[in-house]
Amino acid sequence: MKKILAMLLALVMVLGLAACGGGSDNNKAPDADKPADATPDDGAANDAPAEPALDPVTLRVWFHGSTVSPEASAKVMESVNAYLQDKINVTLEPIWGTWGDFDTATVTALTGGDDVDIYFTCNWSSNEYNSYARDGYWVKLDDMLPTYGADLLTTIPEGIWECAKTNGYDGMGVYAVPALKDTATQNCWDLNGTLLAELGYDVDEFVEFASMNPDFYYSDEFEEVLQKAKDAKGSSFYPLVGEPVVFERIATGTAIVTGDLNGAPVLSYYYDVEHPSTDIGSKIVCKYATPEFKKFAERTYYLAQKGFISPQTQNVDTANNYREACALTGDYLISSQSYAFGCELDYSRARGIDVRMIPTDAPYMDATSGQGAMMAISATSKNPERALMFLNLLNTDPELMTMLNYGTEGYTYNKNADGTISFIDEVRATYSPWTNGMGNVRQLPPTAEQGVDFWERFSAYYDSAEVLPYGSFILDTSELSNEATALANVYGQYGFQLMGGATNPDTVLPEFLAKLEEAGIQKLLDAANDQLSAFLAG
Amino acid sequence: MSRRLPETNPSARPNRYRFSKYKKTLVLLTMAAPTAIWLLLLRYLPMGGIILAFKEYKVNPRNPSFISNLINSKWVGLNNFKFLFMTDDAKIMFRNTLLYNIVFIILGIIIPVAFAIMLNEVTKKFVAKAYQTMMFFPYFLSWVVVSYFLNAFIDGQYGMITAMQRAAGGEMTNWYTTLGPWPYIIVFANLWKNVGYTTVLYLSAITGIDSTQYEAAAIDGASKWQQIWYVTIPNLRTMICILFIMNVGKIFNADFGLFYSVPMNSGALFPVTQVIDTYVYRALMVTGRVDMSSAAGLLQNVLGFVCILTANNIVKKIDADSSMF
Amino acid sequence: MASKKKNLRLNSVSRGAEAVIYIVLGLFSLCCIIPFIFVIIISFSAESSIRAIGYSFIPQAWSTDAFSYAFQKLPQIWRSYFNSVFITVVGTALSTLMCALYSYVLYRPDFKFRGFFNFLSFFTMIFGGGLVPTYIVCSQVLGLSENYGALIVPLLVNPFNIIIMRTFFKSSVPLELIEAATIDGSGEYNTLFRVVAPIAKPGVATIALLNALVFWNDWYLSLLYIKRNKILQPLQALLMELQNNVEYLSRMAGQMGAAAINEAAKMPTQSLRMVLVVLIVVPIACAYPFFQRYIVAGLSVGSVKG
Repeated sequence: MKKILAMLLALVMVLGLAACGGGSDNNKAPDADKPADATPDDGAANDAPAEPALDPVTLRVWFHGSTVSPEASAKVMESVNAYLQDKINVTLEPIWGTWGDFDTATVTALTGGDDVDIYFTCNWSSNEYNSYARDGYWVKLDDMLPTYGADLLTTIPEGIWECAKTNGYDGMGVYAVPALKDTATQNCWDLNGTLLAELGYDVDEFVEFASMNPDFYYSDEFEEVLQKAKDAKGSSFYPLVGEPVVFERIATGTAIVTGDLNGAPVLSYYYDVEHPSTDIGSKIVCKYATPEFKKFAERTYYLAQKGFISPQTQNVDTANNYREACALTGDYLISSQSYAFGCELDYSRARGIDVRMIPTDAPYMDATSGQGAMMAISATSKNPERALMFLNLLNTDPELMTMLNYGTEGYTYNKNADGTISFIDEVRATYSPWTNGMGNVRQLPPTAEQGVDFWERFSAYYDSAEVLPYGSFILDTSELSNEATALANVYGQYGFQLMGGATNPDTVLPEFLAKLEEAGIQKLLDAANDQLSAFLAG
Repeated sequence: MSRRLPETNPSARPNRYRFSKYKKTLVLLTMAAPTAIWLLLLRYLPMGGIILAFKEYKVNPRNPSFISNLINSKWVGLNNFKFLFMTDDAKIMFRNTLLYNIVFIILGIIIPVAFAIMLNEVTKKFVAKAYQTMMFFPYFLSWVVVSYFLNAFIDGQYGMITAMQRAAGGEMTNWYTTLGPWPYIIVFANLWKNVGYTTVLYLSAITGIDSTQYEAAAIDGASKWQQIWYVTIPNLRTMICILFIMNVGKIFNADFGLFYSVPMNSGALFPVTQVIDTYVYRALMVTGRVDMSSAAGLLQNVLGFVCILTANNIVKKIDADSSMF
Repeated sequence: MASKKKNLRLNSVSRGAEAVIYIVLGLFSLCCIIPFIFVIIISFSAESSIRAIGYSFIPQAWSTDAFSYAFQKLPQIWRSYFNSVFITVVGTALSTLMCALYSYVLYRPDFKFRGFFNFLSFFTMIFGGGLVPTYIVCSQVLGLSENYGALIVPLLVNPFNIIIMRTFFKSSVPLELIEAATIDGSGEYNTLFRVVAPIAKPGVATIALLNALVFWNDWYLSLLYIKRNKILQPLQALLMELQNNVEYLSRMAGQMGAAAINEAAKMPTQSLRMVLVVLIVVPIACAYPFFQRYIVAGLSVGSVKG
């Protein structure tokens, strides 16, 4: 047996070394001239994009959240590539990543060093922009941007560039092109106005009372209206629906700390909900150790005991589906929502009820909202400059963006007389990339439903958002992996159910806090606050 | 190849015994070759990746291929294993994994063997086929679908049991926060899903038993029960031992879906549902560290390897023929 | 004739015991099939009913919306069915053949390198290089990417099946038979296919069944290796994608604008899930009797022949 084992090991080593020799050889050639290309002298570079004698290059771009059939893709790519070859002599080979496969497939492709030029990235999936930038997967763009992305620099507002900055492998800088999309966060109560009116309330007055009212959740009125709804609709009706994690942020007035444990939030940042940019003493705290949280958890438990919160809402696996289902049938009184511009009208139409959005804070921007969708150039790309030229064109050329995002005229949509467009639904269904995931959506033509001036109103709303005082701060937990793993499991055991009111905070909260302590929350907090002060100082 | 053999083989008749022996070995080697080559390429070649468990994996942007990254990443010794033993939860997850697997192994032998023997005694062939087909069905359903099914009964809002309790005006149980019944639910769910599959294995083994053995036993006047005891079970012994040894090798691995999806990932149930695989999964959702997941996998494998060698040696002592190697 | 009848009686369990067997197995079988019936019922339930009363054996209203939605959303579904069938047939044939050849060699006690090859396969059952290194070897070294090979080759060998198959050979094929065949001048391949295989039929059928299930159910390979050439997608991968997209769309509709919200309102999210299960399970379940014929064929052999 020992002999066999030794033989096997030797074999593996030999094969492994052979493969590794081959691997490094392959990569040496493009490697050598890469740095030279990345920092060309200004003179040659300025005419580079206009130079007609660009070599033909094929770019592989990995998009996210697409529903695109092979036929539709081939059809649209015909036009896209004709256009691109003409402009920058690029042939696009899209990889239409979907919601489901994205995390696993991209992580494997990235780690495996696949031949892909541009990846979609963001800070909310496991294809995490900041950590991948730190680990060296993305090309740093700062030096290349003035040359190959000059239009990009002026098109995308300074604030969003600021949010895209991260402390990556090659130091602080921009490692991906952020999308100019719904870049602000605003939390809302989602109110079923129709039901409220049925209960005998004056809807406008109620909305007025609840708007920007931090005590709304704790008020007697809140409890009273839920009780009335429950009495009116029967014991199996649960009037308060939503995601407990969002309840918590609304009811305590806290924001997400970008870089907090993925899917297991343990940190909070308190901010001024009325004037988000006001500095109220920047400090990161443990989400569950504050008196505000205790008050929230007790209140939620109380509301749950009263029968206002469904057991479906209290389970992390069912909460979201249940919220959707209730929303679509209008089977709720109050729910939570992260606001997207113009969504109340769409919701009212889709649900067949009068949907009201009650803002609980002013719209704000931070790294979380600024990094919602980005396009990064892979370190494995053999043509990073050309990839950037493509991104530059995509974000500044309405024709290209429309073609890639909406498809081609006459195939997926028709133009209307007023400049809006109407989709040809059957075809559009086979060609639906994720609109917001692609880049600067403000270049798109408005649809007939959106109305002619949609994008102006859209821009006005998002441009008004204030930046939080710690703005583009991004927490780096990579040095604390062990603590993070333990904390995530502790959170899994207690966090969600506590926020959903499933468990009694009087008994569970102290146990939870003790376990967090054991898992090393203090180490995480110290590191977080050190990083934050360093960020604010520098 | 197979067409050529009958022609060449007659040459085995001459007394060049050594030559024919080499040739036999050679022919047998050609039989093993496709699988052996596959194993070398798709299993042994990637094994170099095991060293990932001892490295802190970082990309080397100057030459970002996996192998160069791996070589250039820094050695961190056993650091990647630490996260498994960080807190007291470690005890719980190792305990749960082991205990559940021991129960699964024991019941997973007794019940399928019993079922296979019983199926063999069903005289109406149509019924036997129908039963056997139905028993295989759970194997088609994923754990997620199973969790929906279970949920239809015990859901706190829509569940049929909840509805009955509500109708009876009694206290409604919140099943997803009540620990008591879950060990039983998990054991039952696991058996339910796998019994049909394992039964088929034993059944095929029974089918392969030479019928003359039964005839001989019958002539000796053995009753049916004696035939089962003296003919069927001894013939199943090898299969039982092999499946036992292989399951022991996986004693530190848990079926992720069973422990994650079936209890709907409910936190309150962690004391009885947290196993190594769910712990690692939750841990990696946060860190996304491939090196740490390699480490966890390697640890499970090494422990499993030790167990499998032990089990094999025990079996070897009892019945040399039934051991795996 | 009369003696045969008597023998038969003597050779089966008593009536009472048989009744117990029928009841025990019957109950368990019922237990196994009910969830599947439940899945079928849900797939035909109206979405409104699920939203109102949850999953139920007796929905308030029936509908085939989810089925028509799936077929309308997926014009490529038939192509994917073809892909799945193709992959399953080719993959099952190849993998079963390879498994039989390899385990036959392991079973032959007179094979010189038996120990080595036995260990070669056994070791991989316990240890593996992990996802990423395997992915790199397949896609970059072996060129298994964007082709049918990528959906078949990585699943061809399963050490577990090799060991099971070897056990089948051990317990059902007497060595004397092979010796006799060799003395008769039969070549090794001839012996395997003409003499050994017919006896080991139940075992081969079992392994083929297990292999077929693996190929039919796999979606992961497609996820890893089929990214651009999506016309090769097997059914499982296609349905998986649809489900994830639908769930995501309904969750994120708010952020995605009017078209998405209206689309989400129409989607039979919950029943669709079950429709997908039905679309996947029914074809393979229909193929099941084909394998079963060989597995159960020799059943009750003891009592009938006795």
